[in-house]
Amino acid sequence: MTVQEQMRKGTTTVILLHLLADMDRPMYGYEIIQELEARSQGAFHFKEGLIYPRLHELERQGLLRAEWRGEEGRRRRKFYTITEAGRRRLERELQGWRTLTEQVNRLLGVEAGL
Amino acid sequence: MNDLDDILARLRAQMDLDAETEHEVLAEIRDHLEEAVAQARARGVDEATALAQAAARFGLEEEVGRALQAAHAGWGTADAVIAAGLPVVCALVLRWLTFAPDGTALGWPQLLSRPAFWIVALAALLIPLLRFERWRYALVTWAVFWGLTVVFATLPALRW
Repeated sequence: MTVQEQMRKGTTTVILLHLLADMDRPMYGYEIIQELEARSQGAFHFKEGLIYPRLHELERQGLLRAEWRGEEGRRRRKFYTITEAGRRRLERELQGWRTLTEQVNRLLGVEAGL
Repeated sequence: MNDLDDILARLRAQMDLDAETEHEVLAEIRDHLEEAVAQARARGVDEATALAQAAARFGLEEEVGRALQAAHAGWGTADAVIAAGLPVVCALVLRWLTFAPDGTALGWPQLLSRPAFWIVALAALLIPLLRFERWRYALVTWAVFWGLTVVFATLPALRW
């Protein structure tokens, strides 16, 4: 697994929480994937199916709330919304991310913003 | 060529979830694949190619299925503990409320007039309903609670 792949895997939680906080509306899985790919301009390309286990884990942890919408027998979709606990976790994750990148950049001699 | 149902069947083969969870997971994945196919079809791609492309982007069913199984592992156990334990705990609390200090049982009219009784009964219903978000689980838990309550209240041998 490359460094990029490892980082992508480790950052999926914060990326999902950030997207749902930023959009501030319920979104369903396929829509989330489309939005992530659009925002990353194709750089964030991953196996789409693997987003669902992550969403379900976040739901289980109470960081996301899920709700089925649509009538029985017709198209029904599972929409995800970030919870208050999710927003608090996002803040902590972002703080941790900033600290980590600063430290790694310092170790690698990379200036911030490059 | 992958048929949508074949993809879901391979995914399902990797999971060992309760029927309702499995149904929901597969419905969500089906919706994903159907939308991916519909978008490709709207771009003029034929049905078979659209499904093959959607399946390729989705990832290997075995890998995704195992990840879904891992994500849900423990849900069933935790739910089972709550579903089995809650009505027993509530019934035992009620048993304590049911008997007067001298060990004699209160009559049903007295019991039903106590706010504490209804608080315990509501807890036995609402906790599983909110925890599981499935009304069937909540009703089963409530039924067990009532069954135990009636047994404790009517069988003298179980009083103390």
